[in-house]
Amino acid sequence: MIISRISRFISNFDNLLALFAGACAVLAVLFVLFLPLPYSEDQLYPKEIDESSPLYPYERGGTPFERADIHVQYPENSPFAGYVTAYLTPFSLALSRLTPHAGTTIVAHPGGILDEILYNTRGLDTVVETTILFIAFAIGSYLFRKGS
Amino acid sequence: MIGIGGQPLFILPFGDIVLYFTPFTLTLFIFALVFTVLVIISKPERQIDIVFGGDAYLAKEISISDMKFRRFMAIACGLASMGAMVTGDIFDFALFTSLVGICNVGIVAAVKSRHVQNAAYQYGLVAMSATVPLFAGAAIVAATTGTLSILQLALPGATKVPLLVKALLTLGVMGEGMAPFYAAKAEMFRAPGAPYVIMCSLSSLLIFLRVIEVVLTV
Repeated sequence: MIISRISRFISNFDNLLALFAGACAVLAVLFVLFLPLPYSEDQLYPKEIDESSPLYPYERGGTPFERADIHVQYPENSPFAGYVTAYLTPFSLALSRLTPHAGTTIVAHPGGILDEILYNTRGLDTVVETTILFIAFAIGSYLFRKGS
Repeated sequence: MIGIGGQPLFILPFGDIVLYFTPFTLTLFIFALVFTVLVIISKPERQIDIVFGGDAYLAKEISISDMKFRRFMAIACGLASMGAMVTGDIFDFALFTSLVGICNVGIVAAVKSRHVQNAAYQYGLVAMSATVPLFAGAAIVAATTGTLSILQLALPGATKVPLLVKALLTLGVMGEGMAPFYAAKAEMFRAPGAPYVIMCSLSSLLIFLRVIEVVLTV
């Protein structure tokens, strides 16, 4: 009896969002009960925030054409890690000397800061993230054009 | 590396993200690859409704452009499933899984059936909210263990991921198309256009098998 009622409830897809919200709520309560979780001090991608740097918050250190100290999981896979993050084009370099806010314009000027972790050692993540955006855009534009 | 997957046969490094092919993930990868090739080369079905009690029947006509879009989405979904099968990084796995969810909505986006669209809408809402536990799980894995690489987490001396974090990851993947949230997807299959719509079902099955491997390994 109860099983058939449950299955009738589940089979209606209008109830699924409520069901999922319920599952999330149960898990969230369990999660709060089991706090605190241990924090690992040995983080793979450590980051020091230096608010006085003009490249804040993307400063990862290093001077151009010299190797910055970058932690990676598999150093043998990234033999040139540390060279990317230090490089700025002359324009970006001038900008970082003129203003203390060059780090907030990461995409606004050519040759800005290339974060080593984001674009080099974890480059596949960046590729998949943009793929998600492109697919969502393809669906949206297709639906938009279908109406006309 | 211990676990249900077996020893990696082949490792494909992309910097810190290492794709590994164990007998388990290789099998799933080949499965997704074969089905993607089938989607590329096959022609879509033509659905026919037969009227009971008479000899009338209706053939559903679907335009070529609809079919092209559906095939494109099915291929994208196949590629995303392949990536999710072999990736060796928890965050990357979460990204590929959410890509699978978006592609599933895209496959049925062009269907002119109110019922299918309603189901796809509900599925889309659940898949969207499922990204919260999915990415939260990945983030807490990084916080509690300090790394995201499955190969590192599988080492005998590595810090174990707390059980509740595994539950978060699993709930996130369940929202992308596991039972009982699979019900909306089952309604989506009523859309004409096999084999493209079957990709919805197949990708769910594959990411379900993979998340079990991930959760048991880390």
